[in-house]
Amino acid sequence: MKTAAPNQKLQFLLLGTVGLAVLPHYPHLPPLTFGFFAALLGWRLLGVRHPAWLPERRVLFLLLLLGIALLFTERQGIFGRDAGTNLFITALGLKLMEMKRERDSCLIVYMAFVAAATQFLYEQGILFGAYIGLVCCLLLTLLIAMNGLQHPIAQALKLAVIFVLQAAPLAAAMFILFPRLDPPKWLAIGSETRNRTGLSEMLEPGSITNLGLSDELVFRARFDGPLPPPHQRYWRGPVMAATDGKRWVQAQNFERYPKSNPQVSGRPYRYTLLLEPQEKNWVFALDMPAEFSPPLSRNANFQMITSELHGQRAAYKLTSYPDYNTGPLSSAEYRDAIQLPGTPSARVKELVARLHGYDAAPELFIKSLLNHFRRENFRYTLEPPKLDANPIESFLFDTRAGFCSHYASAFVYLMRAAQIPARVVTGYQGGETNEVGNFIQVRQADAHAWAEVWLDRRGWVRYDPTAAVAPERIEYPLDVSRLSPGETIYFESASGEFGKIVSLLKQAGLIWDTVDYGWQRWIINYNGTHQANFLAGFGIKGSRAMLNWLGAILIAATVMLSLAILYRRRRKLDPALRIYVRFCGKLARKGLVKGTGEGAKDFAERVKAALPEHAGEVDGITGIFMNLRYGKRPDPKDIEQLKRRVAAFKP
Amino acid sequence: MNAPGLKMKDRFRLSRFVFGEKASPDPITLNHRRIFILPTLSGLGFAFLAVLLFFIAFVYNNNPVYLLAFLLAGIFFLATVHTFRTLAGLVIREGHGKPVFAGGTAAFPIHIDNPTPLLRPQVRIEGQPETELALPPDSRNQIFVHRTAARRGWCEAGTITLYSTFPLGLFRAWSPLRFNMKILVYPQPAEAGVPLPPLSAGPNREGTGHQGSDEFYGLKNYSAGDPVRRIHWKAYAKGYGVLSKQYGGGSGGELWLDFDETPGRGTEERLSRLCRWVLEADQAGLRYGLRLPDHRIVPADGALHRQSCLEALALHPL
Repeated sequence: MKTAAPNQKLQFLLLGTVGLAVLPHYPHLPPLTFGFFAALLGWRLLGVRHPAWLPERRVLFLLLLLGIALLFTERQGIFGRDAGTNLFITALGLKLMEMKRERDSCLIVYMAFVAAATQFLYEQGILFGAYIGLVCCLLLTLLIAMNGLQHPIAQALKLAVIFVLQAAPLAAAMFILFPRLDPPKWLAIGSETRNRTGLSEMLEPGSITNLGLSDELVFRARFDGPLPPPHQRYWRGPVMAATDGKRWVQAQNFERYPKSNPQVSGRPYRYTLLLEPQEKNWVFALDMPAEFSPPLSRNANFQMITSELHGQRAAYKLTSYPDYNTGPLSSAEYRDAIQLPGTPSARVKELVARLHGYDAAPELFIKSLLNHFRRENFRYTLEPPKLDANPIESFLFDTRAGFCSHYASAFVYLMRAAQIPARVVTGYQGGETNEVGNFIQVRQADAHAWAEVWLDRRGWVRYDPTAAVAPERIEYPLDVSRLSPGETIYFESASGEFGKIVSLLKQAGLIWDTVDYGWQRWIINYNGTHQANFLAGFGIKGSRAMLNWLGAILIAATVMLSLAILYRRRRKLDPALRIYVRFCGKLARKGLVKGTGEGAKDFAERVKAALPEHAGEVDGITGIFMNLRYGKRPDPKDIEQLKRRVAAFKP
Repeated sequence: MNAPGLKMKDRFRLSRFVFGEKASPDPITLNHRRIFILPTLSGLGFAFLAVLLFFIAFVYNNNPVYLLAFLLAGIFFLATVHTFRTLAGLVIREGHGKPVFAGGTAAFPIHIDNPTPLLRPQVRIEGQPETELALPPDSRNQIFVHRTAARRGWCEAGTITLYSTFPLGLFRAWSPLRFNMKILVYPQPAEAGVPLPPLSAGPNREGTGHQGSDEFYGLKNYSAGDPVRRIHWKAYAKGYGVLSKQYGGGSGGELWLDFDETPGRGTEERLSRLCRWVLEADQAGLRYGLRLPDHRIVPADGALHRQSCLEALALHPL
């Protein structure tokens, strides 16, 4: 082992790569820790050129104390993802200051591998994966370069890439076949959730505004058959039945409603829902989810709930029916569905009466109310004016500008004023279709609120008052990328030149999304269930069978790869040598075997002694061969002569 | 070529891993039988790294980390093949080394041929100092393995270990080789200062005396071993070829270096002294003979004579 530290160029490369490995930790590290690490890295970088500037032993000890103090003040403990990362990065920073020998550099490279890998605990996107893959290639390059300095770096990099490519099949086999088991409970330190925006448990007209602007992906749904038309794409979330006039929340004891199975009809939609990490256990199913399997369950509001929440992407298989009848209403449900804070004001009563709320069938009242929204100058906007103490009345009679929450809550309020059971349903509506991958992706911008009215013999029926005001909102998704606050809202039905560019970009985006979907479906979300299903297709059932297959495949792959690597380039014999070997073969049959260390000339002498009658031929052949092989100016034509002579040679 | 086969018992002999197989005079081609491989400390660290990542992946149920851990494991496996390939196929031959004096360094020439089209970027030979070389494709290379020649007699190269940790430093492939290579070690010359014994024309004088060093006797064709200073340069310059001046004469005594009459305590000290005298006598162009208890070399001069005297001293029984 060499004990010298790597040369300067290599040190720069090492420190740079360590920086690249740690850089993406920036968002999830406490600023102090990141600053501490960055300072140490910077110091070390300066130290490459000026080794005298590096801290001595006592200063190092102080730095160590400082690092410990930082960890202590951040109060994250030692265990768990955040604390572990924090601790690890601090240790890596300190280790950088002590990079004296090759062994230290090696340890730093290994630590950088861990630092790079732990990024995946926070972020698992495909681009991110590519970035980490690149960092890992660089780290391998460093290992190679540190082990054999005489290499140019580019050659080491090439070798590293070759290594990764050769190891990829092995890694793939292990990835597919290694049984995915759940970690034991005592090890479950990985359940920290991230702070994500999402639908809230409370609806207060205005609280969805932020969501409306977020481009963040919520889920994707891949359909086995055709996609549902846009007006059926209602992804059901929490149902808000209780209100104090300003806010809407889920009814307090809705869990105790008697559960009923809605009667479903129409064409079923079978799909796989790929849900991004959530902090709530809500699963947004297409209205009305009818077939599902654990860990999913359907609560009394027909909302899908999962019993597993692990802060990671999850996939669920579901079947939904667009037509359904939820049947009769229980008394508790009814009470909650007509509950109002106090009695409606005279203005409201007058409006309900004008729209035949009291004297006509509910369907008629609904129709005239939707017409009212459409005919009167109601506006759809994401930037509604601020509403005062009585938001519903102010919206209905004064401002008349708002978005889905305003319309849904006002609609339900008026229904209840007319003693018709109604409630607000939140969730997502629409979504962007990806024709390439046959899936729909729904972003936070697609968050929506609509209304459900209970009608005799039909059960809960969905009405979307927003559609009456802004039908495009339902048919076309909101174009978030072109939206800035206070601007007119564009819906995506662009045409003309601009539309063409947009559609081209969209096309590229769709293909990219398909790749991304594959990455998430096959890499990120390849859990125990998927693995079991996938491998069962090949007749591999159970962990034991998986391990057996894994062993067999690994052995086969190793043997094949080894053969390929070891015998990749079979030596091509020099033509002169090949002919000479033929000559030797002829002599070997006469019992004259050329020794391994024996030169051609010595061999010729021996042959001549044994077969004096062939001395001339032997000398000639040996002479030409020697000239071809070792001569200063071998004549290619001699090969032909050699060939002829050897062919004619009959000892 | 390797010896045709190893018996099962020999195959599992531990010494094969450390000292190598029996010495052989033939060139040795490195193959799976000659090359051993074990992870280095860094290699064990790398394996630990892969296990650690695997553990993280398991605890957090994180597939990309699984993938990374498996990739590192695959690289670890493949490193064995790559490291093995760095040595496999090389052909090692022994060379002929030059004698040295005791206390010096014996340099054993080793020929390492790379008859394959593969570059071997890092092949190291254990020793003090360690040698590292890169073997280009289809190349013949020679290196010297140095051993300290502590005492006179035959110095053996012992086990010569080639090794490589290329490319990642995770594994060390090594091949311990033994050859029948020997280098003769002359006794260490004693310090100069003790004068040569007197020239004697006495009873010990032997037959070929008329070729002594004193009087010019005639010219003869130069033969290897004649002292350079006796070459008749003038004749050479005139184009008569290389001629050696012959000296002879009655008064010219011969120098007998007699073990029994050599000062010194013990055999080794006397041999050292004799060694110094042989060098001095040769330097002075004297004719000298050597008398050892069991060996006698009649007086002569020249490089060959010097060599046979030194050999006799070197191989004097201990």
